[in-house]
Amino acid sequence: MEILAEMAQGFGFVLGWQPILFIIIGVIMGILVGAMPGLSPSMGVALLVPFTYSMSPTLALILLVSIYIAANYGGSITAVTINAPGTPSAVVTSFDGYPLTKQNKPGMGLGVSLVSSTIGGFIGTIILILFSVQLAKVAVKFHPAEYFALAIFGLTTVATLGGKNWVKAFIAAMFGLLINTVGIDPISGVSRFTFGSVHLYDGFSLIPALIGLFALSEVFKQIDEQNFKSKKIELEKTQWPTLLDYWKLKLTIVRSSIMGTLIGIFPGAGATIASFISYDIAKRTSKEPEKFGHGSLEGVAAAEAANSSSVGGALVPLLTLGIPGSASTAVLIGALMIHDLTPGPQLFNKNSEIIYELFASLLIANIVLLVFGLFGSRLWVKVTAVPKKILYPMIFTVSIIGSFAVRYSFFDIAACLGFGIFGWILRRHNYPVAPIVLGIVLGNIAETNFRRAVMMGDYTIFFTRPVSLLLLVLALVSFAWPILQNKIYSKKELSKLKSK
Amino acid sequence: MKKLLIILLFLQLFFISCKKVNEEFSFPKKPITIIVYTGPGGLIDITARKFATVASKYTEATFVVENKPGSGGIVAIKRLLQLPSDGYTLFACTKSNISKIVSTGGEAYIDGIDWAAMMMADPECVITHKKQKINSWEDILTDAKAKDGDQLWLGPANGGLDHVTALKIWDEAGIEAKWIPFKSGGKAIAALLGEQGVAYVGNPREVLGNDDLQIATVSSSKRLAQFPDVPTFEELGIMGLENEFMWRGFVLKKGTTPQIKKWYDELFLNVNNDPEWREYWERGGIDVVYKGSEEFTKIVHNDKKQFTHYLQKIGIINTEATSMIAKLSTGKTLYFMVMIFVIIFLIIGLFVNRSPNRKYLSKIMLPLFFILLSTILFIISFSFPSNEKVGPAVIPRLWIIILIPLNVYLLVDILRQKREIEHKDENKKVVFGFIGLLILYLVSIFYIGYFISSFVFLIIGIYMLGYRNYITMLIISVSWLLFSYLIFYKLLYVPLPVGKLIEMIF
Repeated sequence: MEILAEMAQGFGFVLGWQPILFIIIGVIMGILVGAMPGLSPSMGVALLVPFTYSMSPTLALILLVSIYIAANYGGSITAVTINAPGTPSAVVTSFDGYPLTKQNKPGMGLGVSLVSSTIGGFIGTIILILFSVQLAKVAVKFHPAEYFALAIFGLTTVATLGGKNWVKAFIAAMFGLLINTVGIDPISGVSRFTFGSVHLYDGFSLIPALIGLFALSEVFKQIDEQNFKSKKIELEKTQWPTLLDYWKLKLTIVRSSIMGTLIGIFPGAGATIASFISYDIAKRTSKEPEKFGHGSLEGVAAAEAANSSSVGGALVPLLTLGIPGSASTAVLIGALMIHDLTPGPQLFNKNSEIIYELFASLLIANIVLLVFGLFGSRLWVKVTAVPKKILYPMIFTVSIIGSFAVRYSFFDIAACLGFGIFGWILRRHNYPVAPIVLGIVLGNIAETNFRRAVMMGDYTIFFTRPVSLLLLVLALVSFAWPILQNKIYSKKELSKLKSK
Repeated sequence: MKKLLIILLFLQLFFISCKKVNEEFSFPKKPITIIVYTGPGGLIDITARKFATVASKYTEATFVVENKPGSGGIVAIKRLLQLPSDGYTLFACTKSNISKIVSTGGEAYIDGIDWAAMMMADPECVITHKKQKINSWEDILTDAKAKDGDQLWLGPANGGLDHVTALKIWDEAGIEAKWIPFKSGGKAIAALLGEQGVAYVGNPREVLGNDDLQIATVSSSKRLAQFPDVPTFEELGIMGLENEFMWRGFVLKKGTTPQIKKWYDELFLNVNNDPEWREYWERGGIDVVYKGSEEFTKIVHNDKKQFTHYLQKIGIINTEATSMIAKLSTGKTLYFMVMIFVIIFLIIGLFVNRSPNRKYLSKIMLPLFFILLSTILFIISFSFPSNEKVGPAVIPRLWIIILIPLNVYLLVDILRQKREIEHKDENKKVVFGFIGLLILYLVSIFYIGYFISSFVFLIIGIYMLGYRNYITMLIISVSWLLFSYLIFYKLLYVPLPVGKLIEMIF
């Protein structure tokens, strides 16, 4: 009951014209930042931090979290319309969102991604409001051995992603993991595979690699296949999901949202892993797993609900312990400190009104996002109607700005181009490129936590800790199962063919 | 009367000459850039921005903060040293930069920098978890002796300031422990809260906001005003740690004229004495100090010596390659080796090209590429120094060991199964044309800037794809430029490159 009263107070504040205005500005900026390949949610938040120096702490926080929420959704727009995920976590959305566009149903992809995003965001926030203190206690107990096991579990989703091409999918994932080791070793501090170049000290940045592997290589492939015909899309005739479509997705959305929030809680795990794992689970539990990768609405819903709900999760350790759970929340900490607020348990006691105002604004930002997203989707659909001969060169210039914006470096643009060409060659030979992104995302988590765990104990630690053991067993099962299934499936097909 | 005239004349001359001096030295004439080596929002970024606001009370000059993240500050330092020493670029520096300079072998940078002013010093401290049994310094000491080297200390990166401080603490206290490095201080604190280790080394400010954390001991010479109950190392009988502090300051490129330096010295002193500046930092437990160029330079050189000593000790720098393979993979022999592998790659390609398997050539090139790349990286990995249980080479090798058999399997599969190759309607030439165009585009952005290059690129690109409506082409290119200027440059503050040549002209 106490929570309800505090929440009511929070809403009382947030429903003023000023906070609402800031939420709207934040949401619009966030959608824009998210949709631009290269500008990630954390960069969107960081770019706005300097403006918030002169605002009141609550308004500053409201503006920044609105951007954070909306940017997490915005990435899916370009993922669905042009197969260029605007954020790393939207990679998974593109698996089924882009095929929908190809089937001339961009409205379905955009609609489902928006609605599952906002419901995901809502569920994540409610979990945050109700259980943050208890969840934070669990999060700090998560041992490096368990982080390692979680990363391995995440890696096994490659088996599902690859389908028949699982060998190639694994090669791609291993390649991603391997190039992730370029740079200064995060544990010992020595440089690895840098060839003495300063640019490689931090390794390859994820964003240029992502843009190259998805946006550039997709355009190369389209040019290669001479796919210049634009589909005439008449806006009135665009197919949008019906309420019944959404109702069918309820289980997927709720399950993925809970998964996303839980994974988001662990500092460092984040939205990308959440969306990969929940996509994997959605596919396994689906009645129509064969549709995944070919425009399954469940696939889009699982990915988007998970990555948006992870925002609520990432705020748990930030608000309760003062520890950032993601890159964006790390920037938020800086913003809080500027306003003399030290995140942590004391914030709950001393400035609880700010916390509840923040909670209220999170919920309202999701509603605003839904409204603006519905309005915006009508516009985004038009992107698919732009003549390809004009669209493709423009995607190149956007990609170049996007990879440059990460750390203002020319090396990143060159790296993006390199990944683009390499990605195109890979696609020509039917290698999936998404596992490379997964490898780059997970490589660091897997490696550092493996080595940390061994430093803290010895090799047996992975099997003596129950949670770690459980995750590893799950990983083994989920790795072997799709491959076995495929083998059995193709044998059946073979015998069918023979009998004919 | 005459005398008076002469005096007046002299006075006038004096004033004129004074005015002349003033005219000669008018600094600054344009905005001053403060380079920050992290993204926005970090402590050093806040320092630079706060400095800009406070400094505006004392000078008309405008300050622009420019974030140049990368390689723990090396990218930013290189940027500073590339620019002229005209005083228009300040670099917001921290002690961590020295550790990075030393660990990447960039000692020469230290002499290229004018260490203008040290503005802040935060003492280092040992933080423990209140609810754990071991939470005072005495507890840590007895526990360390009991565990005999297996006590776990948590903190940020290896070889960084906090790690080196811990090494020094262990040396001075005569104990041994293990340093478990985390990606950031925050993640290490999370692990401390999860009771995964005994102690954390960092900044006293980090306990603020969390009642479960406490400071066991602090490296300053006096007790801290905010934490009057926390004993210093000296009080606990451990000497030689009173100067272990994290400093932050502002530096210039060496070669800045004495007049400009004098202007800055005054400004730094003014900011240092400013009540708003002092209050803002001291509230957070940060010591506001001012050390001029001479003293600061001494401190930096001392830090350099200390980092060199400890980084050598833990094997991050100056480790001689010992084994044969390690020697192979360093310096020129490395390039030689890479060349040999490329030649092998080409020979196999040629061989297959002449064999009956010719049509599978493009298919086997990728697995072959992965195998060769892995082999090269595998050999290079022998040059990584390692004195831990799981050294830096282990994980890359693990991925390589999985990668090679997978590719061999694929290779064998391709050559044995000999599946039909589907023929696609292809347009490779245009793709190659585009790749060439993109490389030109990249080079031209570097020299003539984003806007002009993009305009030309868009027109050529759209033309290359076979679009012929010139008016639409022009409208699209111009409106894209406007859009990117307004949205990226103005709204999102992405400093789109103006181009080296354009910069030189203007």
